[in-house]
Amino acid sequence: MTAPILDIEAVSAGYGSGSRQVTALREVSLQVQPGEIFGLLGPNGAGKTTLLACLQGLHTPTGGRLTVAGRPPREAKGALGVQLQKTALLDDLSATELLEVYAALYDVRLTGEQIDTLLERFGLSEQRNKFARQMSGGQQQRLALAIAVANDPQIVMLDEPTAALDPHARRDVWDVLRGLHEDGRTILITTHSMEEAEALCGRVAIIDQGQIMAVGSPATIVAGLGLHATLKAAIDLPLETVRGLPAVTSVRYTGQHLEIQSSSPQSTLPALHALATQQGKVITEISLRQPSLEDAFLALTGRSLN
Amino acid sequence: MYRFLTLTKAMFLIHVRDRSLLFWNFAFPVFLMVIYGAIFAGDDLAGFMTWMMPGVLAGNLMAFGLIGSSSMMTELRAKGVLRRLQASPIASSDLIGAYVIANVAMALMTAVVVIVVGVLFYGVALNPLNLVVALPMIVVTVVAAIALGQVISGIAPRAGAAVAIGQLFYFGQMFITDLFMPIEMMPDWVQQIGPWLPGYAMAQLVRPALAEGVLHADWVQHLFLLAVYTVVALFLAARLFKWEARTA
Ligand SMILES: Nc1ncnc2c1ncn2[C@@H]1O[C@H](COP(=O)(O)OP(=O)(O)O)[C@@H](O)[C@H]1O
Ligand SMILES: [Mg+2]
Repeated sequence: MTAPILDIEAVSAGYGSGSRQVTALREVSLQVQPGEIFGLLGPNGAGKTTLLACLQGLHTPTGGRLTVAGRPPREAKGALGVQLQKTALLDDLSATELLEVYAALYDVRLTGEQIDTLLERFGLSEQRNKFARQMSGGQQQRLALAIAVANDPQIVMLDEPTAALDPHARRDVWDVLRGLHEDGRTILITTHSMEEAEALCGRVAIIDQGQIMAVGSPATIVAGLGLHATLKAAIDLPLETVRGLPAVTSVRYTGQHLEIQSSSPQSTLPALHALATQQGKVITEISLRQPSLEDAFLALTGRSLN
Repeated sequence: MYRFLTLTKAMFLIHVRDRSLLFWNFAFPVFLMVIYGAIFAGDDLAGFMTWMMPGVLAGNLMAFGLIGSSSMMTELRAKGVLRRLQASPIASSDLIGAYVIANVAMALMTAVVVIVVGVLFYGVALNPLNLVVALPMIVVTVVAAIALGQVISGIAPRAGAAVAIGQLFYFGQMFITDLFMPIEMMPDWVQQIGPWLPGYAMAQLVRPALAEGVLHADWVQHLFLLAVYTVVALFLAARLFKWEARTA
């Protein structure tokens, strides 16, 4: 395995002091490999933004050790592309001027053509001469994302990048992020959307109340928790018999439907079908839902994510 | 260098595109000259304005530092703009350097407007030597004003608070430091206190230079006082500087 590009070891962090002290991270350890799209998944207040701030050299941890591309965060700022959760740009500059300025902060001189390409990628071509303060929230957020990649960064850190976007713009941003990933960049995003994490991230860390609850690919996390698929069938069969079918872990009736939890729907389904036939009954409707990150989150924290 | 120049240009643009700064830095000093000219001039309008114009300029530069420049920085901080800049590899000294240069450019533009109005509309006699002598005095004045303003920015949580504190110090000095009213006309206690305030040194440095092309007889003393204010203010401003607004 190569050296991690983001190496976080037992990092703790908080805000304030004395009686108003808030702990935001408790001994968080995490390694992100070069070239990953990694997601920090957790509800509001979980500590996602604080963890990013520590990596960005904006917040000093109270304990632990972390390096970014092998360096202390304060010395690695030049390697990062950053979009903060709260978008705040120089309001009286145009989109074009903003891209130029923020790239310049990283000593990158953009050509007019590069600026046009960036604006187009984020659907802002028509906003090129608009001042940031004249743009909608979604446009400002897309501009902040364009700025985050304007310096051609090795590592991109985005804090809830699609939070204010409509579903269409959100998918466009996903495409851009996949493109950046294909270029070999490392991408760290935070989200509280399961859909986003599953659609985009090779690996995720589920974070809650300042602690990492699980790390891995969405599929591994779900599998590792031994979560079961849910089969729903519109049929009337004796519960006792159904409970005896292969891989079935629990059975109940919800309204007209038989709801079966199965650790292996591949073996449960044919057996269910055979049982129905044998009893001279017909399954008029059936659905199968594989366990998702949502279920994993619920299992890990006892709460649902949203 | 490209980084610093681009940042300086951006800082300059946000100043010249700010409507309230455009008003206070360009329209307001002209308005003051018109009012003072109409009310107090008496028979010798040109002679009166030759005294008044440098005072209006110095007073405006002080107001810009204490109110305009301090609240602009406070707003950048409160809105989170500075936070995003902090995430980039620029040093705080680069940001402040770019900001001060943009402020000085803004101040010089004010000087041009005020002087042009004085010369064209009020017959103030200026020869080029006056400008040469006055330029460094104007720069010294605005740098001192910006330094004082950044102390305010360091303690004000919001732009509105910076404006309020800046106005307190500006209006407090307006009439008692020889800027808008001759200090000789003031009560004794004012004549005792006034000369120790930065506004007085600003007036004494800018006025004779701009009006007559000479330095005040006690210019070393005034410059020294202003330098002390500037250095102390810079020290405090550097100690108080934050990228991020205080929370809770
Ligand atoms: N500036 C701050 N001052 C005080 N507490 C804060 C501050 N920022 C965050 N917190 C607290 O730290 C915890 C983690 O917050 P944050 O990292 O913003 O979580 P997330 O990004 O996952 O929503 C929360 O309890 C939050 O209230
Ligand atoms: Mg957050």
